[in-house]
Amino acid sequence: MQAAELKAERTKCATGIDGLDGILGGGIPISNMVLVTGGSGTGKTTLAFEFLVRGASKGEKGLLITTVESPEKLISNIPRFDFLDEKHVKDGTLQILELGPLMDKAGISQRVLDKESALRFGDTIEKTLVENGVKRLVLDSFSSLLYGIDDHMVAKVLLQRISAAISAAKCTGLLVSDSANPSGIEGVVADGVILMGNHERRGDLLRTMQVTKMKGTSHSRSKYVIDLTSCGVLVTPLLKGGGVS
Amino acid sequence: MSEDVGGTVASKLEEIGPSVSVALEIGMDTYFDVVRGLTDNFAAKKGLKCVYITSSVPSSTMLSALKMLEVDTKNIYFVDCISHLVAGNIGPSENTIYIDNPTMLENIILKVDFLSRKLKEGAMLVVLDSINSLAIHNDFKMLSEFLQVLLSSLKSKGAYPVIISVAGQAKPELKEAIALVCDQVVPVQAIPVPGKL
Repeated sequence: MQAAELKAERTKCATGIDGLDGILGGGIPISNMVLVTGGSGTGKTTLAFEFLVRGASKGEKGLLITTVESPEKLISNIPRFDFLDEKHVKDGTLQILELGPLMDKAGISQRVLDKESALRFGDTIEKTLVENGVKRLVLDSFSSLLYGIDDHMVAKVLLQRISAAISAAKCTGLLVSDSANPSGIEGVVADGVILMGNHERRGDLLRTMQVTKMKGTSHSRSKYVIDLTSCGVLVTPLLKGGGVS
Repeated sequence: MSEDVGGTVASKLEEIGPSVSVALEIGMDTYFDVVRGLTDNFAAKKGLKCVYITSSVPSSTMLSALKMLEVDTKNIYFVDCISHLVAGNIGPSENTIYIDNPTMLENIILKVDFLSRKLKEGAMLVVLDSINSLAIHNDFKMLSEFLQVLLSSLKSKGAYPVIISVAGQAKPELKEAIALVCDQVVPVQAIPVPGKL
């Protein structure tokens, strides 16, 4: 292998979110499965949805699998993006599926997944991604899928199977997780972790974003303040004022 | 005198051009003349949109003042950092974005960025009024960092960034920070305001 090849970074999927692409040095390496994790109200779903909308505007097919909320409710809670083209929803470039029908398709009837059904669910996701030419996947929320799994091995199998599905489809995936602690199994198996949170300053909360892990690319590990707007997720560095907290 | 101040401010900005950060060191006696010079003599005449960051007085008060000065306000957009703090001054306004607290400096940067994207304007005038009032709520190191990030961002967009600094009200550290991060410091009123330190 040549030195140039060793140095070369993997082909990236530019998220289209200016600030995030800047942090990631251009985007998320294609085939990566990235965990977007943080407490409620930190902007995870908005970030993930913008990722899909930005992709759709470039002609990249996107799929959102919603596990808790109905598609209507999920979208109604996101700022109305100025750049969202309804055409992309109508023509299927941007598709939103509920978990139930996917589970049915996989022949899974039980609420708690075992190893076999986890693998079948992964197979179904892969088939859906490949057959529809999906290049961007969002699973929101992934943690609700894990709630029903007591066995850590099953959770690991499910994550690895979804990761393999994303890779096989040459897709890029975001798994949205409600956990404020990304050190669980999902953080270990994921190729990247985007940590969303709140920074308290004198009683006021600033929404923050920090990429703590991203395989296949060099990236900033600094904390940034974000704003969820109709122009998308806007990003600026967290000011430190020369002090150390 | 007052006509001259407004005209002088506008001419100076015209001469300096975009993508240059300017601190206007003003006296309180010329405050409204400077504001009119920026918003009317400069921005309105050039057909520029103006983003006015107000941390001294609520945007509603500033808007009334501008109307009294007969300034056309339709292209002026406020980022209001103070109304939430002084309860009872928040009213609906389509040209105003409110920030909870003047300590949330990053949100000021983000709201200015938002307006810049929303208005699709590069060469807009962005006025920070004033650095002295922001200094009441923030330590100067934080403020210096804020100015550096804000001004760099605005300069890269081809905007006209202007910081209003009231002469005699800035501590030496703040003056140093302004001198460090601004490309030009323009004294508009060189005479110190009597009774002020």
